[in-house]
Amino acid sequence: MFEARRLPAKLILQLIVTLMIVPYLFPLIVMVQGSLAGEGVGNYRAVFEVGAIGTFFKSSVIISASTILIVYVLTMLAAFGFSKLHIRRKEIYFWMILAALTLPEVVLLTPLFATTLALGVYDTYWAVVLPLAALQIPFTVLIARRFVDGVPDALFDAARIDGAGTFTAFRYIVLPMTRPIAAAIVVLTLIGSWNAYLLPLVLIQDPAQQTVTLLPQFFVSQFSNDQTKVLASAVITAIPEIVAYLCLQGLFERGLSAGAIK
Amino acid sequence: MLGSSRVSKRRPLGAVAALMVVGLTLAGCAGGAPAQNADQGSADSGNITWWGWTPDATPAEAYIKAFNKVYPNIKVTFKKLTIDGYDAAIRPALASSVGPDVFAVAPGAANGSVDIYGVNAVDLKPAVEKTLGADWESKLAPIGVSSLMNGDKLAALSVGSVFSGTIWVNKDLFDKYGLTPPKTYDEWKKVCETFKANNVGCFVQGAAQTAFNEDTLQAITDNVAPGVWEKALKGEVPWTDPAIVQALTIWKKLFDDGIMQEGALGMQQYPDANNGFMSGKYAMVMMGTWYMQYSTIEGNTAAISGAGVADPKPFTQLPIPFPDVAGTGNVGALYGDADFGLAVNQKSKNIAAATTFATWLGTSAEGQQVVADVLNDIPALITTQPNWDTVKLVNPEVQRPALEKLISDSGKSTEPRLATVVADLQTAIGVASTTVAAGEATPEQAAATLQASAAKIK
Amino acid sequence: MPAFVLVVGILYYCIGETGYLSTLDWDGTSPTPTSVGLGNYEQILQDPIFWQAIWHTVIFFIVTFTAQTAIGFVFAALLHSKVKLGTLYKVIVFTPVVIAPATMAPVFRQMFAADGQLNWTLDHIGLGFLSQPWLAQSSTAMPVIMFITVWNFTGLTFVLYYAAMGQIDPETLEAARTDGASNIRTLVSIVWPGVRGTTVALGMLSVIGALKTFDVPYLVTIGGPNYATEFLGTYIYRISIPSAHVGYGAALSIMLLILALVGAIAVAVRANRKDSETGV
Repeated sequence: MFEARRLPAKLILQLIVTLMIVPYLFPLIVMVQGSLAGEGVGNYRAVFEVGAIGTFFKSSVIISASTILIVYVLTMLAAFGFSKLHIRRKEIYFWMILAALTLPEVVLLTPLFATTLALGVYDTYWAVVLPLAALQIPFTVLIARRFVDGVPDALFDAARIDGAGTFTAFRYIVLPMTRPIAAAIVVLTLIGSWNAYLLPLVLIQDPAQQTVTLLPQFFVSQFSNDQTKVLASAVITAIPEIVAYLCLQGLFERGLSAGAIK
Repeated sequence: MLGSSRVSKRRPLGAVAALMVVGLTLAGCAGGAPAQNADQGSADSGNITWWGWTPDATPAEAYIKAFNKVYPNIKVTFKKLTIDGYDAAIRPALASSVGPDVFAVAPGAANGSVDIYGVNAVDLKPAVEKTLGADWESKLAPIGVSSLMNGDKLAALSVGSVFSGTIWVNKDLFDKYGLTPPKTYDEWKKVCETFKANNVGCFVQGAAQTAFNEDTLQAITDNVAPGVWEKALKGEVPWTDPAIVQALTIWKKLFDDGIMQEGALGMQQYPDANNGFMSGKYAMVMMGTWYMQYSTIEGNTAAISGAGVADPKPFTQLPIPFPDVAGTGNVGALYGDADFGLAVNQKSKNIAAATTFATWLGTSAEGQQVVADVLNDIPALITTQPNWDTVKLVNPEVQRPALEKLISDSGKSTEPRLATVVADLQTAIGVASTTVAAGEATPEQAAATLQASAAKIK
Repeated sequence: MPAFVLVVGILYYCIGETGYLSTLDWDGTSPTPTSVGLGNYEQILQDPIFWQAIWHTVIFFIVTFTAQTAIGFVFAALLHSKVKLGTLYKVIVFTPVVIAPATMAPVFRQMFAADGQLNWTLDHIGLGFLSQPWLAQSSTAMPVIMFITVWNFTGLTFVLYYAAMGQIDPETLEAARTDGASNIRTLVSIVWPGVRGTTVALGMLSVIGALKTFDVPYLVTIGGPNYATEFLGTYIYRISIPSAHVGYGAALSIMLLILALVGAIAVAVRANRKDSETGV
């Protein structure tokens, strides 16, 4: 966005970014430092020695992947529908979805419990995936809709003249042009589902299906709290998300510059 | 690919969602009066699940292992929840038909309140009578029984109790600066000045976590005038009682005179104050009998390491009575409740096996010995004492007599800690403690506000 | 639309249930809840802590939204500008989003403690007079909560702005530059309007987020000292779970729902009006 051709200007830009980043970096340093206090790397070893870590990661991956798939497909369809299709009273539906954003998770717990039992999905991944998706969708639809709004109507008109149906337009115009926001949606859904704590805790009983967010609790109890290992668990849990973010960002940016659009 | 997944995903989801709406209507909402499952199952075989926020995974494993030596055919699965998450999780679980068979409850208003969840529990009186005989009440610590009743029902069996009223000191730090643990207010102040001059923190309290302020305020009030706090909790004397106003005044003085650490109102007892004490940054902390477990070499080393200290060296920690801050000579008060009890879910399909487990851990000699040796709880079965030959203390010479005295004194105490305190009153006491400490209210004003809030609670 | 049915199916049931609960005086388990009609709502309107929480929420929203938007936007613009080590900066801004507030709470308490890293740093860069027990004072606890929230969520703002800027036509930018527009000018008159959709969405999210604020104040300060950092979210939790006033808590939740909707609609309406004024 900024263009800095000369060296001093480049340096100034670099300096601004660096100064701005310091407050963000500071707590992270304190955190990593904390995770290495006491037994140092031993804290990380202790986390891995919990034993179930492989199972935890597997569950988290399954839950996150399923949630992302559902959220992505439904969000894109919904965003396209709300933004470009002529549906009667769509604004009312849109606001009804948005209203759902306002409910705190804690309030939802009791009804969700009853629902999952009634559906017979309690103690399965579905019990977590479906509510997680439902909780993410209002947010992603809101974001994606604004983004699809930004796709020029002229493109659709042109496509229609060429004889393309709604679905073709969706497939060949909306999906490619929304790649950057898709990356963001996937990343945000990943965060939401990977970090989900309360729902898996309550809705899944089987120890073999528990998620990584339960890792820290091996080191926290009523009368003890091994902060160093809690932080080590947090670092270990966060790394896959950061890697996923970088990969996705890279993938979608490449898609953009490869000229998939325009 | 996206096209195909769209087609295949869309239908089932639509169907699921439609089903959901139907299911929701059928499921209903409010949990009515729970009915006890008629089929009790077998008493010495089966699979049972046990939910609790305590104990830790390791002691829980030890309990289950010892239990399986006696009952090899009952498989117990322990699910440990966090303190904060427990209520949110147990409430819907108990309302459902697939909740845990055994679940932890605690007296009072904290997590897993027996007053709230006791309605879902089986009355364990007949089971205890069967194992301990008709005079069972004389064999169990009184505070564990009385605080886990739900009406006339013995809703849960206490596994052990915790008591507060003591301050724990880091004896090595006191020795290093030639100090002795304070017995009076002036000694306390002087000790703190010396520590401060040597850049060592004196007394640490996580005053943001107000439940622990109650411990300290109760200790001060018991020192000013024994029994007044307990009576105020029961509503027999108003919170504006002069003894309580004086206690709040002394509480404020602790902040003003630099006995309390700077920034106490922004710290929590766990993990902040605990880590401060364990890492040797502070020499004194207000903690109860649950701190006994850090007197062992293993427990102490792990706690220091957990506080973020590299290469942990165990130190000698000792419980001391709360100093005679009011100059009345009334010291040594201890007050406690059952730490947690095991309740059997009325809707369990294995009531008999679940009862076997709960009574074994709460009333059998083998079960209680395992509890005692963990040094977390004072055992519920009066006759049980820790097995000092297997417990490796950091400094047995000074620590063992101190711990033995603490255990026997606790066993005699009948003063409740949080058991009779409802959540709204706890909140009100918390407000009084922090407003006074911050100087936003005088002790008189805070006591009046507290009384006004307490009067509203019914 | 399946998305619609899924969301409506699960969530509206909950709203309905909450609405029903809000008319009760109930502890959540007792078999005999008493109906009190609108009594809970009357009580809310006279509840000083409720108003205090609302007031906190308003200030909190204004400060955090402005800061997050400004910082996230500038970061996104800067990192679209071929800065060296861009990936590193992105990771640093992004990482806070993925770390659970529960984990960071003790870290922040330690950082802002009287003997914490912040005061230590201040002492060492000659700003020692500024050092204070940040979280122990009613006056400084709130700014700290705001800082933590901004720290936590700028990554989100950044990711979305970064994506939105990818949608801006590079040719428009190039054309502006050819006309001699400065960097700042391009940013203000082309990029900022170009990402307006995202800004509006973020505005709506922030209103809702501020009303729901729970994790950070609950975990870092437990709403204290002396309710200085009490929000609607923490208050609802305190009332419904530990104190078990389920009915009152449900009534508060419904109030939150209404306020959130009104707030979000207000943002959207303002945005629409502006759209029609400027003819976008």
